[in-house]
Amino acid sequence: MSQSSVIGAGTIVRGNVEGEGSLEIFGRVEGDVSMGGEVTVSEGGAVRGNVAGEKISVHGAVQGDLLATQAVLLERGAKVVGDLSAPRVGIANGALVRGTVRTEGEPALAAPNKRVAAPAVFKPSAFAAKPVAKAEPKLAPPVEPDDEDDEDEEDDYDYDQQREAAVMPPARPKEKEPERRPPPPVLPSLGKGAKAKKKKHRD
Amino acid sequence: MAGTVIGEGLSIEGDVTSDEEVVVQGNLRGKLTSTDAVSIGPSSVVQADISGQSVSIAGQVVGDITAPERVDIQAGGRLVGDVKAARFTIADGASFKGAVDMEV
Repeated sequence: MSQSSVIGAGTIVRGNVEGEGSLEIFGRVEGDVSMGGEVTVSEGGAVRGNVAGEKISVHGAVQGDLLATQAVLLERGAKVVGDLSAPRVGIANGALVRGTVRTEGEPALAAPNKRVAAPAVFKPSAFAAKPVAKAEPKLAPPVEPDDEDDEDEEDDYDYDQQREAAVMPPARPKEKEPERRPPPPVLPSLGKGAKAKKKKHRD
Repeated sequence: MAGTVIGEGLSIEGDVTSDEEVVVQGNLRGKLTSTDAVSIGPSSVVQADISGQSVSIAGQVVGDITAPERVDIQAGGRLVGDVKAARFTIADGASFKGAVDMEV
């Protein structure tokens, strides 16, 4: 009697599901689920309704109450809007819950709830202090202007390539200047007639 | 393994819609629609209209069956309802009561 059942990812059930075996839900169930065995809402699975079982583990989404005779386990990626009730309730890091949790009998494993709010308050101050300290040492050793220049040139080069069609004229000289500088420093100072004069001299 | 298995001991009251293979071995009451194959196992009790690409029945079914491809009632299977399908077989040992429309 207690055979395992699967509701596949492409399957939608509108109505109530009940049985004695275990059930694994990859698809959608819109209705109540009541099993004698284990109920698993897998990643990608969704239930809109109350879920009851011996052990309920959730990797997907549930909108409804979870009631287990042994344990409710919310794994990473789980999204539950509803109340949790079981002797053991586990909420893993990365699981989201909105609802009340009730553990009957044994102590709960539900402590990780607090983690969301508390650290968020402290973090900003910690981050605020660090940048100030980091900024000063950066300013202190400005020994590497060469590297920065190289980076700038490379950046310009990339931009030029991308914009070649539209914005070329001002950009190209920058690339060519450093290459051509050494050989002809004289040319720019010469007027139009100077070239002719020079040729004549060479001749 | 089939995409969806309604195992022995499981009961569903309502509509089941799927785009993958569905195997029913438990109880279903309502409606079952799939764009893939549907198989009703020997131990199952189904009170539902069933629609699937092909439907194979080995259990007890009360309801109309529609399948563009084929409907097969296996030996031991029992169907009360109308069948609309391009191909339809009734195995020796199966029981059937209803009308057949093979779109002749």
